[in-house]
Formats: sequence, C-alpha cells, structure tokens
Amino acid sequence: MALEDAPTVEVLKFDEKEAYNHDRPISSLIRTQLLHLHHSENLVVPSKARTNININHLLTERQASEYIQKVTRLLHQYGKTINESKPKKQKKTTTKNASRKSVKRNALK
Amino acid sequence: MSVGLDNLKHVVVLMMENRSFDHMLGGLKKRNPQIAGLNGDESNPDTDGQIVTVAPKAIYRGQLARDPDHHFPGADIQIYGGAPPGPGRVANMQGFVKSYATQGTGTQGSHAIMNYFAPEKIPVLTTLATEYAVFNGWFSSIPGPTICNRAFAHYGTSFGNVDMNMFLVTDADRNKIPTIYERLKDGGHGAKLYYFDEPSSTMEIVNLIKDQSFFATFDQFAADCKSGNLPEYSFIEPNYSDHPGPGGGQLLANDQHPDHHVLAGDKFIASVYNQIRIIPDLWKSTALLIVYDEHGGLYDHVVPPDCTADGFTAAQAATGVPGLEFKFDRLGIRVPAILVSPYIPRGTVVPGTEDPANQRVFEHASIPATVTKQFLAGKDIGTDREKGAETFLDLLGDNLRPDNDCVFFKM
Repeated sequence: MALEDAPTVEVLKFDEKEAYNHDRPISSLIRTQLLHLHHSENLVVPSKARTNININHLLTERQASEYIQKVTRLLHQYGKTINESKPKKQKKTTTKNASRKSVKRNALK
Repeated sequence: MSVGLDNLKHVVVLMMENRSFDHMLGGLKKRNPQIAGLNGDESNPDTDGQIVTVAPKAIYRGQLARDPDHHFPGADIQIYGGAPPGPGRVANMQGFVKSYATQGTGTQGSHAIMNYFAPEKIPVLTTLATEYAVFNGWFSSIPGPTICNRAFAHYGTSFGNVDMNMFLVTDADRNKIPTIYERLKDGGHGAKLYYFDEPSSTMEIVNLIKDQSFFATFDQFAADCKSGNLPEYSFIEPNYSDHPGPGGGQLLANDQHPDHHVLAGDKFIASVYNQIRIIPDLWKSTALLIVYDEHGGLYDHVVPPDCTADGFTAAQAATGVPGLEFKFDRLGIRVPAILVSPYIPRGTVVPGTEDPANQRVFEHASIPATVTKQFLAGKDIGTDREKGAETFLDLLGDNLRPDNDCVFFKM
C-alpha cells in the first residue's frame, strides 16, 4: 500500500493575486508585534546597529513586514551573541575588576 | 499504552488565528449530529432588539473588514450579553452582535458576526475534522486576545495577563514556569518553534530574545520533515501578513485572522498536513494538532465552562471591565481543534460540555500538559491549571489506518 492509494481532496483554488493586498492597514495583533519587536530591539541590539525606524509610521502590512524582517534578523544576530557570550564577558570583567581593585588597594597601601 | 502512543515520536501543533468553533465547524452538525455545532436556530439580538439568526453566509474576505472585538471587555459582553458583573448574571452567549456593533459596523453590518462557513467552503479543515478527531470542547484559555492565549500554549499560563503585553511579566515569574521548549531542552529532547518567515516572524518575541535556538522558519520545518530531523515537539506559526516574497513573489497571510483570506489558511493547513503525510515513517510517528488561539469575536453558542484557577489574578484595571477582577477560573470562547494521526479512527468526536456524562474539556494549557506528560513523564512542572488540564494523546489507538484510508490534499 502506498501514498498513491490515498484518497485525494482538492484544495480550493482562488485568485491569489486578487486577494493579495500588502497595503492593508495592520491589525492590533501586528501593532502589538511591532511594539514587542521595538522593545526587544532596544533591549538587545547595540545602538549603532538599531534600525532607528519610528514604528508609529508603519501603517500597512508591507511596511510592518519590512521592519519585522529587519528586527528579527537583528535579534537572531545579537540575541545569540548575548546569550552565548554574556557569562564569559562577566567572568572576564570580574577578573579585571578584581585585579584593578587589588591594584588600587596595593596603590593605596 | 496503545500501539499508536507507543510509536509516537513527534507532536506538531499548528496554531491558527481568531476564529470560533461554530464559525468554522458549526455547519458540520448537519452531517454528523455528534459534532456540537449549529442547529441553525441559534440567535443573538442586535442593538435594535431585532433577532439575528446564524446563517451559512460567511465569505472568505471582506465581511469582517472591521476586526471584531476579541479583547477581554469585548468577550465579556459577548458571553454575558452585556450584563454588568454582579450576582446573578448569567453567561448566555447573547452579546456577539451587540459587541460587533461597537466596532463601527452599523446595526446591519453587525449581523455578519453570526455567519458561519458552509463545510464545503473550507474543505481542508472540515475534511480533517471528519476524517480524524474533532474536539467538541476545546476552549481558548482566556476570554481575551491572542498573546495571552498563545502564552498558555507555551507556558501553561499567561502569568496573570489578559491582554497583549507579555513584556509586563517579570523574569522572576517567567523563570518559575519554563516554556515547554525549555522543559524539553532541559530533559534532553528537541523542540522548535517554526515561524512562517522573517517578515512575518513570531508572536513569541519574549522567547525569541531569550533563546534563539528554539526558532526556525517554515521552510526549515519542511526540510526537517524530509531529512528526518523533526524534533519531538514542533509549534508552527502561520504567516501574519501579506508581504512580498523572495524573488518578487507575493505571499498571502494564511493565519485566517479577519480579514485575511480564509482559503489561504485552508491551503496552509493542507501544506502542513501533507509535509507529514507524504513521509511514511513520519506519518506513523506523528500527532498533528490544528487549533485556533481564540475566537476572534466571532459567534459560538457554547458557554465557556469554569476551570481550575491558575494562581494569578487580573485586577479590575487590567480586565477593563468595571467591577470585575479575573481569577482565571473560567475558560475563553470555544475554538476549532482537530487531532490528526493514522492511529485515530475516522470520525472520532471528542465529547464536550454538550454531553455532561462523558465531557472532556480542553484548552491551550492542554498542549504543554500533554507534551510534558508524553516526553517528560514524572516531571512536576507548571501551574495547577496546567496540571489539571486534559491531555489528548490517549485518542491514538491500536490500529494503524492504511494509506488508502488517509486523505492526501491536492494543492
């Protein structure tokens, strides 16, 4: 018995070109997604690499999707770096701080 | 343990957007009276007091251009008919038309909220509902919007939120109750959240910044199916917007959120199903759950039942309903949910509240509860709400249906 024996059901066709409308105003769901991404961008992405896009000016699905794509890429890029290197950085900083402190202490002595 | 459960290696969840059970599947009751859909005489009053009866007049796009209210105060009106909180108020599902009228539809336009799809208009969803298992009693977790409801699928709780802002949740709270992805990773299992593509991205942004390794695109889902690398648990998000595709193409939103084209979503459901269906080993070892996050403000006739409180309280200011704080002790409005596996007998109907003697009530906390039970047996994780949630893999039986008994969708 193989897949060729499976009963088939047709997916209904429709005019996808006619249905497409990237100028549709964004829903409250996508507005929320923009707010969350904007918040995350400020939280995770270094200021030099941020998009500096004012999300209040994004009104259509196309405009929103362009921003969403950019920030998703940035979050993948910088989110990973933060997740993976933060503990190491902290360790180095701690050591540096510790040696600086000891230098200071020694200097004070 | 059944043979189906014994062979199960993968659970895949596809969560669509904002459609109620009756709106999508209510018409199936005429084909099978066991399905707790519509008799055809269910009604709501409009703002002029005129009675509006359900009708199979839903269309794919254009009828719900004004997004129906599905936030907490709107859902409260829909469930209680607009009666203010207080002793003696009764949940009667009589406020849908009144609520839709608040969205600027005009009285006549508000009647559209009572429309449902004739089953032949959405053949993929209705075929899967009748070929595998349909849940009469799967409810959204909160009578409210998307983000807090989706949180129940990922955490088994929304941490006291009834709105769209999961960023208000503190890390301390979140760390007490790990996501299902973190639980599986900690247990040595695989878990992935597949969003459609980068321009659509995910609604799980809180987690996206927390751990990138859980995220991939839908193209990767297809590749993982083919290469035999599908993790134990996959959660799929549809495309949330119309946007240009690679190479100048056009990609339609396929989430079925009003007013996106419903057939684009029906096609997407078929493509997820087919990805699994065409690979024999994967097909035999996978359970696919298709479920909607919330009702989207659309009419459903079943009163949401009480549930185990999850230990959080949303204050009056958060619910937006004067005089009402919410203890997460009542479920949201009913949504379509279908479980697919070749180990499920054709035409399985899981009874809901219409059959008090045999009822099984599911909600989105059932997802992490089920996955935790299946892959992390013995782990004591989650809120009381999640621990008390029904799980669904017992629907997989002993008999493997042959290929000539399991449909394939021609795209």
